[in-house]
Amino acid sequence: MYEAFLEGIGLALRLDTMLYMSVGLFLGMFVGALPGFTTLMAMAILLPISFFLDPLLGIPFLIGVYKGGIYGGSIPAILVSMPGTGAAVATTFDGPALTKKGQARKALEMALFASVTGDLTSDLFTIALIGPIAAIALLLGPPELAAILLLALIVISATSSGVFVKGLLMLVVGLFFGMIGQDPISALSRFAFGIIEIESGIPLLPMLIGVFALPEIFVNIEKRASSLIKAEDLKVSGEGLTWAEYKGVGRTLVRSTMIGTSIGMIPGVGQVVAAFMGYAAAKSASSHPETFGKGELEGVAAAECANNAVNGPTLVPLLTLGIPGDNLTVILVGAFIAQGMRPGPLLMEEQAPLVYAILVAMVIANILFLGIGYVCIPFFAKVVTIRKSFLLPLTLVFAFAGTWVFRAQPFDLGVLVFFGAFGYIAKKLHFDVTPMAMGFILGPTLEYSFGQSVTLSSGNLIPYMLFERPITGVIFAITPIVTYLMWRRSARLRKQFGAE
Amino acid sequence: MDEVVEKKFNFNTVAAICFIVLAIILLIFIPSQIDKPLIQLSFGQFNLPPQLFPQIIAGCMLALGSWFFYKSFSLKQSNDLRGLDKEAITNVIVTLVMMAIYVPLMVNLGFVLGSAILIVAMSTYFGNRNYIAAVLIGIFLPMLMFVTFRRLLLVELPPFPIDIYPLTNWSLI
Repeated sequence: MYEAFLEGIGLALRLDTMLYMSVGLFLGMFVGALPGFTTLMAMAILLPISFFLDPLLGIPFLIGVYKGGIYGGSIPAILVSMPGTGAAVATTFDGPALTKKGQARKALEMALFASVTGDLTSDLFTIALIGPIAAIALLLGPPELAAILLLALIVISATSSGVFVKGLLMLVVGLFFGMIGQDPISALSRFAFGIIEIESGIPLLPMLIGVFALPEIFVNIEKRASSLIKAEDLKVSGEGLTWAEYKGVGRTLVRSTMIGTSIGMIPGVGQVVAAFMGYAAAKSASSHPETFGKGELEGVAAAECANNAVNGPTLVPLLTLGIPGDNLTVILVGAFIAQGMRPGPLLMEEQAPLVYAILVAMVIANILFLGIGYVCIPFFAKVVTIRKSFLLPLTLVFAFAGTWVFRAQPFDLGVLVFFGAFGYIAKKLHFDVTPMAMGFILGPTLEYSFGQSVTLSSGNLIPYMLFERPITGVIFAITPIVTYLMWRRSARLRKQFGAE
Repeated sequence: MDEVVEKKFNFNTVAAICFIVLAIILLIFIPSQIDKPLIQLSFGQFNLPPQLFPQIIAGCMLALGSWFFYKSFSLKQSNDLRGLDKEAITNVIVTLVMMAIYVPLMVNLGFVLGSAILIVAMSTYFGNRNYIAAVLIGIFLPMLMFVTFRRLLLVELPPFPIDIYPLTNWSLI
């Protein structure tokens, strides 16, 4: 693994990789700074770009969008108390109060430095952790993989927003959509209903853009309001952050990084909860908790550091076991698959240098993140004033263009619109589409592993799992317990912090 | 937090019934919707029958749908579709119609022209009255996207219909 890591460093140190990452970071911050435009939408719409680039350009580009988007949300949160993304809601507790005190620049810089600190530390942690976990994952055979996939899918459904049974139903719907096309074992055609275009399955890219980007556009168009904020409200005033102020929140940064990192490895919890937990922990540990909510710089640091510290560790279960932890990593799975890199136990064995190169690129992205964020703060502050009447059709055009380039088939545009409408209705009826997308992506792997297990067991699946593959038996046995614990934990966190 | 809207039969109950019906339809159609192998090469081996996994999924959907049906009576969630006002419904429908028109426009008139029409129409509908800006943005940004996709990513978007004339061959861009 050490050799692969060194090789990965060599691969990552490319000028074009850094250039694409910078573009990704810039676009991510741009979209993140727009209230109502989420990081998820940005990643879904920009996903096609990564499809046609070298893996060392496309995936770091998308990771740049991811990182930049999470930070970008803090800019309008601090300036006008309007979080650009859900992850920045906790930042509105102290950010706007600091702006009113004439310390907007200080607050924005604290958000930036805290985000980079949390992100960088958690990325280094991810690099250290991924090798040993991948080595363990390699010992897994088809039955264990099938059991882990099933466990992960059920846990993700349990921790998705809303009611458990609704999450499970969406998972089953996703598994059904994943079955359309060809049987992964014998390649027999199924559920194509005579439609030639889906003989090889529902196309991944239109489906992902449809369920993740279009519903956000539909929600945004419900009201015609073009721009609610005046440009003069977005003045980045006051002095910048000092070293003493940054050093003063050191303990908070360490605490929030640990919170964010732990949250990142738990499927389905995500940045929003991490930011609230980081903020609450900082407040309760503070010697002056009464200042929190009234313009406390430490409050901004706690929330921003925790939400960005989630980014790296979410890749650990993804790259080692092929399990995406949330909707943002589902989109990353799409990018990996398009590049011929199927996340899972074999990925580190077959393409370890490339995986390490991507992880090293993530670390480098933090340095670029700091530079771009610092220089462009005044620009991103103005982004909030851009008229939605222009942004919405442009986003739509990008979604259609991205779908078209996938296979150049008008049918795919229909798939995009179908899944867009499906996602919008699901959102309005409180069905989370994340388990559906995960079921769609992981379904064929689950079926293949299950099929291999049946063959290995010579038809006696249950005795085989109990006596010859005890790990599989143990995973199946703990599935209900783990599911219940994760469901209870995420429900409690949501109730505590009011985060959907 | 979700508000209490209905205490008994509600949209979740309707959704549960839809899932149950879908599961039953799937169970009925599974045998006819999966191709039969022409020859059985692995005769004597233990393989996963092609219809088994779909049957498990349909069975799960039926069981979960029934559980959801039972649970739906006690769920306290609001139907946000019903909560949409007239403006929101109109905006969504108008956007869907524009999207439906955009597909043939993009395919037949080309990406740049089709997108320009969509951007001008949609921005006007959503309140923009600066038509010059709309036209300029509507032409410039799709053009930039077209060139970027073609030159940088080496993929094709529908070109202009005038592509067939040698003097304005867009493949030269």
